[in-house]
Amino acid sequence: MSLTDGGAEPEVTVRDERTQEFVAEWRNASYNCYSSGHKFCREVCPVMQVTRNESWTPTAFHANVVAMERGELDVADIAADYVNCTQCGACELRCPNTLFTGDFYRFRTRTVDVVKAVRALAVEKDIHQPKWQSWNERTDERTHEPVLGDIDISQERVRDWAADLNIPIGGESILFVDCEAAYYRTSVPRAVAQILQAAGYEFGLMAEQWCCGGPAAEMGYVDQARRFAEHNLADWRSVGAKRVLVLDPHDYISFTEDYPKYFGADFDIEVVLVVELIADLIRDGVLTPTVPIERTITYHDPCRLNKRKGIWKEPREILRAIPGLTFRDVDRVTQWSYCSGGGGGLPIEKPELTAAISAGRIAKAADLAVDTLVSACPWSERPLSEAGAAQNIDVIDIHELLAESLGITVGGSRS
Amino acid sequence: MSYRYDEQHTPPEPTRVTDVAITTFEDLYEVDPRLMQEWVTQQEFPNWDSLRIMNSRHDHLEWMHEHFAHKVIHGSELLPADPDPNPSGEVSL
Amino acid sequence: MTLTAERVDTVVHALRRVLRDDQILTSKTDRYNRARVPAPFPVHRWAERLPDLAVLPESTEDVAAVVRIANELLVPVVPRDGGTGLTDGAVPLRGGIVVDVKRMNAIHEIDPVNRTCTVGTGISMLKLNEQLAKHGLIYPDDPASYPCSLVGGRIGTSGWSLIGARYGHTRDLVLSFDHVLPTGEVMHVGDGVGQKITKSSSGYQLKHLFMGHQGTLGIATRATLKLFPKPEAELSPFWAFDNYDDAYACVGDLARAGVATFAGAVLFDEHKVAYLRRDDEAYIPQPSDVRALVCAVMYGYEDEVRPAGKRLLRIAQSHGARYLGDEISEGDWAARHDRYATPLHGRTGNGQVVPMSWHCEDAAINYTHLPAVTREWHDIVAGLRRQSDVFDDWGMFAYTSSDNGTDWLTEIDVGIWEQQLDDRAWALWVQAKRDLAAVSLKYHGSISACHGSCREGEVDLVPDELGRGFQVMLDLKRALDPRNIMNPGKYHLDRAYS
Repeated sequence: MSLTDGGAEPEVTVRDERTQEFVAEWRNASYNCYSSGHKFCREVCPVMQVTRNESWTPTAFHANVVAMERGELDVADIAADYVNCTQCGACELRCPNTLFTGDFYRFRTRTVDVVKAVRALAVEKDIHQPKWQSWNERTDERTHEPVLGDIDISQERVRDWAADLNIPIGGESILFVDCEAAYYRTSVPRAVAQILQAAGYEFGLMAEQWCCGGPAAEMGYVDQARRFAEHNLADWRSVGAKRVLVLDPHDYISFTEDYPKYFGADFDIEVVLVVELIADLIRDGVLTPTVPIERTITYHDPCRLNKRKGIWKEPREILRAIPGLTFRDVDRVTQWSYCSGGGGGLPIEKPELTAAISAGRIAKAADLAVDTLVSACPWSERPLSEAGAAQNIDVIDIHELLAESLGITVGGSRS
Repeated sequence: MSYRYDEQHTPPEPTRVTDVAITTFEDLYEVDPRLMQEWVTQQEFPNWDSLRIMNSRHDHLEWMHEHFAHKVIHGSELLPADPDPNPSGEVSL
Repeated sequence: MTLTAERVDTVVHALRRVLRDDQILTSKTDRYNRARVPAPFPVHRWAERLPDLAVLPESTEDVAAVVRIANELLVPVVPRDGGTGLTDGAVPLRGGIVVDVKRMNAIHEIDPVNRTCTVGTGISMLKLNEQLAKHGLIYPDDPASYPCSLVGGRIGTSGWSLIGARYGHTRDLVLSFDHVLPTGEVMHVGDGVGQKITKSSSGYQLKHLFMGHQGTLGIATRATLKLFPKPEAELSPFWAFDNYDDAYACVGDLARAGVATFAGAVLFDEHKVAYLRRDDEAYIPQPSDVRALVCAVMYGYEDEVRPAGKRLLRIAQSHGARYLGDEISEGDWAARHDRYATPLHGRTGNGQVVPMSWHCEDAAINYTHLPAVTREWHDIVAGLRRQSDVFDDWGMFAYTSSDNGTDWLTEIDVGIWEQQLDDRAWALWVQAKRDLAAVSLKYHGSISACHGSCREGEVDLVPDELGRGFQVMLDLKRALDPRNIMNPGKYHLDRAYS
């Protein structure tokens, strides 16, 4: 071969060893974006849609890594920009380098991973976003995210949502409940648990459930995330679990992407998404919703299911099985550009952006003249509910809705 | 439906298609991995991700058709039975 | 960047009188991410392309106020819309203020009766069409960057559309617009001065002058566009040939047939087919005797498209074409609306995958000269490839520009391995661009049908192409931009001031 400079790569002047390691790891991923510069990600990016600021686009997040390789920028120059991402995955999927050739080359756009890696590098270099730092410190102290603000979250209360439901500890199948659902929107785990009980599906709870660690990993606090994962895996093993039932899409990402990275082939736990399990139970005739629900609804595809996992059929199957509903659906590809703004730590550091993104999502529902927006993600439901209140649109979780149609009195809190 | 590490990291046995491409899942082509050893190495790719991308591509292309026109006419329905003696001239249909 | 820190402070201070703080961006990342477009970029000289700051205006008044300040303080202004162009219009060469119009993306009016809409120039065609579809309408400006390029950039570059043979190109589809002149004055320009007029004979035809200037004559802020019914039906047959000559003869006959619903035809040459076989699922399994491809596309009512399609299919058959089947035909066409090359198409001489930037050199060439230009262009790129693995020949397309087959957007796609780019490789590339442009002129074509011709290399031949007209360009530039603040350094327009 005949490289212009005799085979050696042009010299770069990266400032320190750790940054060199970082750019060595991510340079090809980032050049794969930089060298195309398509920007097809731009109009699907939820942050871009509300800020219209090109500095906060997926393209910029990759270009900055190239500039770091070239010695033009340092992590201190770029860290604050990387707050502006919900890690919804729209950019990665919409990128031609994923959509048209990602499977062919086994090499796809990795914006979410790059954002996480930059955030982790920043934390490692002691560059903190103040609210994230505080959030993760409190999570570390309490083993759960401080989703109730100043109200104390303690380990003793993690199963309070299930107090009257007679769910055992341990067993082959364990229901994992994310922090938002366990403490804030407790109607969701109550609905899930009672649906599974109605189907005769045996499951238990963990001996000592901690936060999945995913949010810490998303915000760059990777050591903490890993410690939490190790705790949870040890707990599952200690109670004899072979499978984990997951009701929250964010947890589903943690358990099917982060945990396998931490533990490799040792990760021998089966991970089951509850919404898929329930769709199966309905298909098999184990569950039959019969109570008519007189609502006009549309469905919000949670980003971490639709965009990041390609899961969009099963929730629609469930909704179509519920009698009485008028369902005004929006296709999954159009919804690649929809988001609640509730992910990736954005609502902690920039709640005003989350609110704007949720308001945009609710406005799209309002265009359909619906009275209810159904989601399948507890983390989306708080910002969407707040935005929905202004437009008189009720935000309901799909499990809550199904439970109602199964004649279950759900209980718990929705706010 | 569910995720198991072993299953996800065991793709179907590849079949060679050309000197630069192989196939694993039905309709899913991949580069001959020998071409990605020097400058760009392949990423870890669980099965769900390959299938997600392929399925999303088909959904996206269908979406693009609908975006530009209400329906797609299939060329196969219009293929001529026999070669026309005067195709580019004034032929009646 | 060109301004001293003190001068930047002065500019920011002045801008704060007319903009909010969140509309004025001065950080390093704000500037590094407004320095480039998708075309190959001398990444090793990135710092030379930085603006001093960027602004995010939200109205015509904001833009006018910024330009007035820049004109007064003698600070360069570079308009930036989608930043998806391939000729560096949005790349700052002298620092200054990047005016990034993305926040001006409102739909101000949809007028279904007169078949127009009025929008901020920061909107993308895809997002606009999502709204227009609710009214059964479409704005059919369809570049390969369709999902992300913006109306304002289409105006500033006088864009070319894939389906322009049916609906016209940007210059035909944009009826009028508000335009901020380099002095900060605001002008409405169209046919005559009307907002929704498709044809006027009143006065000079100024609209064309303020399209395709690559940001050197001001900034379009609000545009009125021509709308059509969203097509009922689409048909996009693809055919394979065992030789280029038959494919060339076929695509010419298709374009000359005069079918009213005909929206375009494309010729893929042998290099392009070989390139697609690398990684395109539609072409990997094709037999090795497939050496050229042709596609045609039609839009209209179903009862128009069906008989028209039959006619085109008969024409293709008479040239020995093999229909590639519905799945490939439909899938490949749907992908053409966002068909930028992906970097991993790049290969070293020994076949290893490398990430390469895609560059598309284009020209407007008459049908009769397509084979000669194709041959000579491949020779030029083969010369590059012989000298360096940094370059890779990705094949050629010829697309119909008009509805009668006169002239063709002719493009050669070249992969450039940016990770290995250095001054020597960049100089080879710039010379190759001059050589490619010279071939276009030798065959009485135009240096660009689509992207513009103001990049390093081909820009040197623009005075040759335009002749006396280039002097008129200089006179106009000096008259409209007396202090040379609008996108200075482009198109050799500095000569207007020497």
